[in-house]
Amino acid sequence: MTSALEQSAGLRAALPSPAALAALAGQIRVFADYQRDFSEQTDVVVVGSGPGGAVVAKELAERGHRVVLVEEGPPFVPGEYEIDAGLSMARTMREGGLRATSGTVLPTMQAIALGGGSLVNSAICVRAPEAVLARWSRDFELPHTSRAELDPHYDAVGDFLGIAPTPEAVLGRRNTLFRDGCRALGIPSEPIQRNVRGCRGSGECFTGCRARAKQSMDISYVPSALRAGARVLTSLRIERVRMSGRRAIGVEGHVVEPFSGRASHRARIDAKIVVLAAGCMATPVLLQKSGDLANSSRQVGENLQFHPGVAVMGIFPERVDPHFGATQGYQSLHFIEAGYKLETLWAPPAILAVRLPGSGLALKQRLSVIPYSAIWDAIASCNRSLGRVRARRFRTLDPHLSWHLHPDDVPILARAMYSLAEVFFAAGAHTIIPGVHGVAPEMRSLREAEIFLTHPRRATDYVMGGNHAFCTTRMHGDPRRGVVDELGCCHDADNLYLADTGVFPQCPSVNPMWTLMALARRTGLAIADRL
Amino acid sequence: MHRPFRARARALDPRAPGMLAPMWGKLAAAGLALLVLKRVAWGYPRPPRRYRVLFRGEAAVLANAAEAMYPRGGAIEASGLDADIPGYVDRLMLASHPRIRLLIHLLIFFVEHSTLVFRAPGHGGFRRFSALPHAQQIAVLDAWATSSLFFRRLVFTSLRSLCTLGYFAHPPVIEQLRVAPLAIEPRVCEADLLYPPVGRGRDAIAWTARDVNAPTDAVLPLDPDGPLHPLRGSR
Repeated sequence: MTSALEQSAGLRAALPSPAALAALAGQIRVFADYQRDFSEQTDVVVVGSGPGGAVVAKELAERGHRVVLVEEGPPFVPGEYEIDAGLSMARTMREGGLRATSGTVLPTMQAIALGGGSLVNSAICVRAPEAVLARWSRDFELPHTSRAELDPHYDAVGDFLGIAPTPEAVLGRRNTLFRDGCRALGIPSEPIQRNVRGCRGSGECFTGCRARAKQSMDISYVPSALRAGARVLTSLRIERVRMSGRRAIGVEGHVVEPFSGRASHRARIDAKIVVLAAGCMATPVLLQKSGDLANSSRQVGENLQFHPGVAVMGIFPERVDPHFGATQGYQSLHFIEAGYKLETLWAPPAILAVRLPGSGLALKQRLSVIPYSAIWDAIASCNRSLGRVRARRFRTLDPHLSWHLHPDDVPILARAMYSLAEVFFAAGAHTIIPGVHGVAPEMRSLREAEIFLTHPRRATDYVMGGNHAFCTTRMHGDPRRGVVDELGCCHDADNLYLADTGVFPQCPSVNPMWTLMALARRTGLAIADRL
Repeated sequence: MHRPFRARARALDPRAPGMLAPMWGKLAAAGLALLVLKRVAWGYPRPPRRYRVLFRGEAAVLANAAEAMYPRGGAIEASGLDADIPGYVDRLMLASHPRIRLLIHLLIFFVEHSTLVFRAPGHGGFRRFSALPHAQQIAVLDAWATSSLFFRRLVFTSLRSLCTLGYFAHPPVIEQLRVAPLAIEPRVCEADLLYPPVGRGRDAIAWTARDVNAPTDAVLPLDPDGPLHPLRGSR
């Protein structure tokens, strides 16, 4: 095995020459580079540099096509990652990370940075279960979206990013206790596969990886696209897709100042193909603001789905030191058919502490057990719970979101809470803090947790997070019932493609990034074949 | 005397019968308005420092909320005021989008004045939040946290979030709770040679090819008891 030192030396040797590096840097434009209004021409313009757009850009650039990748946010370098949770969200998230749905109030987030959500997610990579993809194929007339058809794309992405199970050395007690609990119950569990190289176990995925271990798009796919000749325009907000009949002829928007979003110079990019990968919550807004594009099916902005997440904190008799270890290193897919997935969790401690009950000295007493605690969560598949995305006035791409948790989906959350309680007590926790309104703030036995099975509560009683959003521009074989076809091309336009989680026909029941990248790769290859 | 003139003279004579009643009414209304104004907007203490975004009254509300949620003593020594929660919220608002800033202003306004509508538990509960005694402030927060009205719980959670973010930004707190970020020696990858710091030009790129030392597939876990991030702890 080569040492880290030898590996670093090898890396340096493999780097392009200083002149080539300078040329690569010249292919990127940042806010300081824009001096006046401008226009560009290219083969393909890709809007959004997250796990959808970055993959499409790299695949096309490597096949010799001229590509411009556009991102509204700035690139971040490690020294600029803000460790403080609030300030980090203010810098890297749209609406300061305080976005929420109306209807059933559900906090949700969308990153604004080169690399998109991959910069601030926990790098979880899970292939969509075979049964889920089979259902998509069957119910949405998508014959080529089976697991067997997507596996080559999953493999290509996995090889490129070095997706691998979380190593034992960086699991930490918070993750291994979950494994112990699952084993004691006879529930299968596994280390989570992640797009990470050389994880240090800092648990800082959500505020940006200071160790540069997470292979987020800004340090993986985007540099590869650059090496293949793509250009990257950051701090550029696309506000309209320009059309001529059924053909997209380009996009236009404004240069925006990082963080404040103040618009300055105008920009126009003419292209043979337009790919929108601005995210499930922004792409429909862009289509709506472009004159209700691609919407003969009336499905643009509809069908909004989330994986609502609930979490439980458990207190153990021995020290857990939860701040050390992979942010999300272990999972159980045992309950996927029942509608939820269990996984470990860590986040900036201030975010986790918000859920603790009480005020004053009692609250401080509860905080003091954090070194003895672990937090695990469940994400739920709630296919009956739907919402919609609507454009706001003005230039912003920030949407108005509405969403309702269907009453029949509430018991899924309740069962997930009970399962988490089971694993905690099986792992040796003496107390759990469920953080649900109307039940005991602390539970000391599984019997107490049975209230989740007998009285599932109301939707508003749960403290939920809107992890992962989908379906707002869903793919469907029937143009009357979906926005895009199986390859991501809009039914109503000849050369307008979508490549974000909006194209998912339903929630995938597991973390969506790898599936999105697989679908985006397929879209990229399809566009390359056309050009 | 001409009739209209007499009527005007009577109207100007404060001793005329029926004149004092509307005047007293106006005075009473003005007094009431002053009282309401005083309850709503006056009488805030001068803050210990100047804030860039927070108003004087807002700083007082946050200081009171900070003390109610995180008083001095107990299992963690530092209080909410030691952590300068108002100062943190001021910094957070400065870094936030104007729309978020407005929402935080509205939240603080609502927290401060909701007790003029929803009476605080105990005697004299119809006062603004920051004018309530400490015990009553805690009672108000607990009432919101467990309220059957979802909106009140939401307001509490939002306020709790702001205060907790500020409390955990105080290095002694996270050090005592053993959740302070660990020191990580800088790693530089190829992409770091391409991107300048936010808001700067390419000439501000600090790294050169000699600095590149990541990624590596070697697994080198941090030591949970090892040195802390220099800005967040002293271990």
